[in-house]
Amino acid sequence: MASAPDSPVPPAPPQPPANVEFKALLLLILMAALVCGFVLYVMYARGVFESTQRLVLVADDSEGVLVGMDLTFSGFPIGRVQRIDLGPDGKARILIDVPSKDANWLRTSSIFTLERGLVGDTRIRAFSGVLDDPLLPPDSVRTVLRGDTAAEIPRLVATARELLENLQTITAADSSLNTSLANVQAMTGRLTGPYGVLGGALGSDENARKLLATLDRVNALLAKTDQRVFGQPGQRGVMDDAQAAIVQLNAVLADARTSLTKVDAVLAEAQAVGSNVRVASNDLGTLRAEVEVSLRKVTQLVDEINRKWPFARNTELKLP
Amino acid sequence: MRTLSSWWHMLHLVGIALVMGFSRSTYRQANRNATYRYIYTGTWQILPWFTLLAALLSLVLIRIVIVTALSYGLSRYALEMMVRVLVLELIPLSAALFVALRAGLAFNSAQLPATAQTAAVPDIMQLQQDLVPRVIASAFSVMSLATVSGLIVLLLAYINVYGITPWGLLDYTRTVGRVFEPAVTLGFALKTLLFGLAVAVVPTAAILENARCNVTLSSTLQPGATRLLFVLVLIEVGALAVKYI
Repeated sequence: MASAPDSPVPPAPPQPPANVEFKALLLLILMAALVCGFVLYVMYARGVFESTQRLVLVADDSEGVLVGMDLTFSGFPIGRVQRIDLGPDGKARILIDVPSKDANWLRTSSIFTLERGLVGDTRIRAFSGVLDDPLLPPDSVRTVLRGDTAAEIPRLVATARELLENLQTITAADSSLNTSLANVQAMTGRLTGPYGVLGGALGSDENARKLLATLDRVNALLAKTDQRVFGQPGQRGVMDDAQAAIVQLNAVLADARTSLTKVDAVLAEAQAVGSNVRVASNDLGTLRAEVEVSLRKVTQLVDEINRKWPFARNTELKLP
Repeated sequence: MRTLSSWWHMLHLVGIALVMGFSRSTYRQANRNATYRYIYTGTWQILPWFTLLAALLSLVLIRIVIVTALSYGLSRYALEMMVRVLVLELIPLSAALFVALRAGLAFNSAQLPATAQTAAVPDIMQLQQDLVPRVIASAFSVMSLATVSGLIVLLLAYINVYGITPWGLLDYTRTVGRVFEPAVTLGFALKTLLFGLAVAVVPTAAILENARCNVTLSSTLQPGATRLLFVLVLIEVGALAVKYI
């Protein structure tokens, strides 16, 4: 179908700007470079060009763990979750790729935790207490420790309920605490009474009054004792007499000391006498020995005389 | 019934455009020149302004997100949220709408020969000369605007979160790597391509259909604008559903 002959002639197309082809090609090249550069950057960001080693974490429950989430060490990401499997033992196996340059933070003694808070995502953390331990070998399998805040809530609620029940028991009307507080209140009431602390300590005002009366009597007794012991002003008391007696006793003791000195001298003389007597006794022994010798000689002499004539006796015995 | 026919006409045109787009005979010198011209008008002329506008709006949104996240103690999620919301969702959609306003809805059927306007079956040669370069240029335009603006937004996000310092680059790179998973990156590229295709084909199909059926426009709204908006939202919702559901 041709256009109507009386239709207006369409305006001539505008002249294209200069270098359209060059500018379009430039845009194409620029966009291709940008897209390629961005793809390479994303690949680098996802660790495509890094050499990694595999780490397998075994957990009872992998809830909250996502592919791509980080494994952190001291707050720094050092690995990325690549896959989550269900192992033949029914436990979750979290496969993590750790770049080789960050693998030196993981040791054989490292501990791995899986923490899930009330708010926020789940976190996988690594703790290496002893950095001198040997490096964690590739494809190591470690059990991850769980720190689940949500799982702690039922236990927390049970503990809180128990605590509240105990608190309710404590604060009941007939509870020990309430009774104790009533006793404290009664005691503080007594403390504010006419006898104050004394009434509270002794249990009643009557007892406090008795104690005060006793104290009064003790005071009176002490006054009398003082009067008797130390005397009234201007008079001598028992203590004064005792002091005078002590002075006299000191004089007696001095006399006794003198007498004892004299006794010592007498004893020394008696000792000298004794020693003389001992010497004399020794001389008497010698004298006695000499007397015995003389007597023996006399006896021998008498016997000699008796054997001589006219005193001779026939001493011969004749047997029948 | 007319609605179904209209949708079918549009899908038919999409199929033709795709087949011709993958045909070597389409890329003759004349068609390449047409493609360059469309790329120039659809990308070169609007790229600086769109990038500037996107940077300004993104800067406002980035500040809002950072301040809000800091006040709630969720600053570690702010960067990831900005990348996911701005770069992956808002920027491509904005680029598609901008290209649609600039190029897609500016298509004038009067420029086509009368036979092409009234033919029951689209003239393949005419479409090869006009539709395919438009589709290619629109797809490239959407992708270019989304890429450049996305990179500018990534740069602005880094500066706002870490400041002008290289020490946050490692952490930032890890976050970007965590967001741009392979499936997400492919979905982003596919969505941008679909946006470009929709921006080029939907208004063109609507205009050609109106010319063929001699439909008198009852309003000043460009034919196919509502449908284009619907298709764009459909693609966006579909991408979100695939990604997050």
